[in-house]
Amino acid sequence: MNTTAISSNIQVITGNAAAAIAAKLARPDVVAAYPITPQTEVIEQISSFHASGDMDCELITVEGENSAMNAVMAASLAGGRVFTASSSWGLVFMYDAVLATAGARAPVVMVNVNRETPGIIAVSSGQQDMISTRDAGWIFLIAENCQEIMDLVLQSYRLAEDYDIQLPVMVHYDGFFLSYLSEGVEIPAQETVDQFLSVLESQPKRTMLRPGEKLGVGTHGILGGYMELRHKHVTAMERSKAKFDAIDQEFADIFSRSYGGQLEEYLTEDADMVLVGSGSMCGTIKSVIDEQREKGIRIGLVKIRMYRPFPHQALVKALKGKKAIGVVDRSLAFGFDGGPIYTELKAFETKLGGAKLVSFIDGIANTDITKTNVKQMIQMTADLADGKDVPEVTWVSYPKANKDKGEK
Amino acid sequence: MSSNQYFNHEGPWSEATDSLMCTDTGDWRSKRPVVDKEKCIFCGFCAIYCPIQVMEMTADSCFEPDLDFCKGCGICAKECPKGAITMVSEGEFVS
Amino acid sequence: MAEKNKARLTKVLDYLKYDDPFSKGVSFCPGCGLELLLRFIPRVLGNDIIITGTPSCSAPVLLGQNKQSWHTLSYFGTLMTGAAANATGLVRYYKKAGIDNTVVCFNGDGTANDIGFGNLSGAAERNEPFIYICYDNEGYMNTGIQKSGTTPYGATTTTTPYGTVHKGKNLRRMNLGVKMAMNKIPYTATATLSDLEDLAKKLLKAKKAKERGFCFLHVFAPCPTGWGANPADTIEICRQAVKTNYFPLWEAENGKIRMTKTVKKPKPVSNYTKLMKKFNHMTEADLEILQEDVEYETCLLGGLSVLEAECQLPVSAQD
Repeated sequence: MNTTAISSNIQVITGNAAAAIAAKLARPDVVAAYPITPQTEVIEQISSFHASGDMDCELITVEGENSAMNAVMAASLAGGRVFTASSSWGLVFMYDAVLATAGARAPVVMVNVNRETPGIIAVSSGQQDMISTRDAGWIFLIAENCQEIMDLVLQSYRLAEDYDIQLPVMVHYDGFFLSYLSEGVEIPAQETVDQFLSVLESQPKRTMLRPGEKLGVGTHGILGGYMELRHKHVTAMERSKAKFDAIDQEFADIFSRSYGGQLEEYLTEDADMVLVGSGSMCGTIKSVIDEQREKGIRIGLVKIRMYRPFPHQALVKALKGKKAIGVVDRSLAFGFDGGPIYTELKAFETKLGGAKLVSFIDGIANTDITKTNVKQMIQMTADLADGKDVPEVTWVSYPKANKDKGEK
Repeated sequence: MSSNQYFNHEGPWSEATDSLMCTDTGDWRSKRPVVDKEKCIFCGFCAIYCPIQVMEMTADSCFEPDLDFCKGCGICAKECPKGAITMVSEGEFVS
Repeated sequence: MAEKNKARLTKVLDYLKYDDPFSKGVSFCPGCGLELLLRFIPRVLGNDIIITGTPSCSAPVLLGQNKQSWHTLSYFGTLMTGAAANATGLVRYYKKAGIDNTVVCFNGDGTANDIGFGNLSGAAERNEPFIYICYDNEGYMNTGIQKSGTTPYGATTTTTPYGTVHKGKNLRRMNLGVKMAMNKIPYTATATLSDLEDLAKKLLKAKKAKERGFCFLHVFAPCPTGWGANPADTIEICRQAVKTNYFPLWEAENGKIRMTKTVKKPKPVSNYTKLMKKFNHMTEADLEILQEDVEYETCLLGGLSVLEAECQLPVSAQD
């Protein structure tokens, strides 16, 4: 079935606009948000939709991110569909409520426009905000381009509000690179989105906080009760993996676009070497792979779309038997030799059939992951495959780091 | 869905459809309020000011504490305008 | 026995139209002002309110444990940082869904005046339609009696102890009620437990006024355990707080302050402070500082009520 051909339109819009339009199409009951660079355009757009009557939601212009998350958590537990958006310091300022939202199993959907969150005030891109909040109990999805931002937000509502899941979902996309990048985005028709989301209405109703129902939420889990809740949370996260794959399939049937669920594999089947990446860098990596393939180098890409829960089964399946794997991180993990995603993948090294792993740190603090950088990563991964001595971690855009390491 | 033992719902929801949780706060008491029915003028101050709301109206127009839960704070005795309530040591009631 | 005159029965009972939704045995200390207030609110407002509460002395009872509950009210256990924002989320969704509701956001002074003040202020600015009740026991009692922004001058707490160099809190308390009234919200009031009819009337006024937006009740609720007071004196402490003007009773519709109880001859503040140990160490001179503070606040309140009566409320602050 292809309904998009007749009822969608392509517009050149920014990643932030794609997120805002997707939120509008999902018809949330309550939106609460606070401005922060580089997310601000999302709430500006939503405010404009609200002002013109195009978006029939309760818009709460809160006095801080912490209140944004608290408000949407409560509205969600009361039974509403909700949306919020933030970035970096904003995400950190709402962090206690981010944890409470996950613990309360409130199916909140938000976008987080990735920006550096170190101790230094930095208005620059990077995934450290995502990494710093990775075990909050949320499902984390990462978009590569503006179209995928649109599509992931829509898919997120199906995932978050699914009766078998009931978990908050955060869609991450790279600040500056995607937030302000304008590109062609196919905007689906409202009826098509309604059809896609209507499955949720056929499911049993989740528990909702209503006046006079003698029912309360936010109760203490005591001893076994606490462990029961945590275990339910872990198992729901695990269920979300297959559910996300299935939703992506169903999305493809309706919208004629498919990404592959937890992971997108790009020319991995016959590849000897694979780069593992996430977000906007994947576009560059794909184009370099195309060039390298023409030279006969069998390199592929595994793009992580679902980062929490960590898709280790899918990763092992995609990477098993490869000669060498280069993992590209846009963030740091202190005390580890390598970036956070590299470190996590390393826990499954013994299941990878002898594949060797190497870590690349790049793209932090707004540095471009250029085609030259990607070529260097591919070369080093190829060297590793050939049995040459390659350092375990390389800061691609900061050679001094590698020199210091060597001197030590 | 996962199995439910401690919770009836997927998330941290509690319900009041069954019996409520309850602590035997009457056990905390070292003194109990004793009401002199002759002095009581049935004004109800003891009842409204009792934090636990355990002063119950009796058929003969008086008030009596529910000793299962009265914590013995003494507010009723203090607030009674006629001095009709006396706090008596629990030791007096040990048979 | 002579037939007793039922006409003597306190009018307060007439306001208690609904059942007490709480379990009889809940773990508040003997003489707890919070317990009296917490049971009183739903008996006046009805059992169909949704009550929200934070980690605090009220938490063990507001929040259930595992699948069981301490009361029959619908409730939401929130974080201290976001209490008013949580209530906002609830009322906004109910508005969107067309569900009638009375949400009572019930918090201590630590949440209201300190850590949760930002979102309380935001909810007031946006005129969110719910009732925020702050029970003020002048400190963080549940964590073991620490100083808060409403702890008065001189009071000892575990973070403002009596020492050889520093003797209790060396800062004045903040006037939370006036701060909120200045936002010109539909209804602000102070109340305390010695005057329960006044409290009941204010609760009912708030329930009506919340149809027009945000309502704030600042309720003085002593903590005998934390203040070193005789549990039997809880109500007397409230009474003396009013009689000394330490905690004046007033209300403000759209910010127009009006005294609901005028104290013609206020008693010295020592009548109040002597009822508890937290002021025990204070000298005559220390008490004079507290007395001046009380008189200043009372004077300011009187001045504000006169000014408010004279000034025309701008259209933007009217309903």
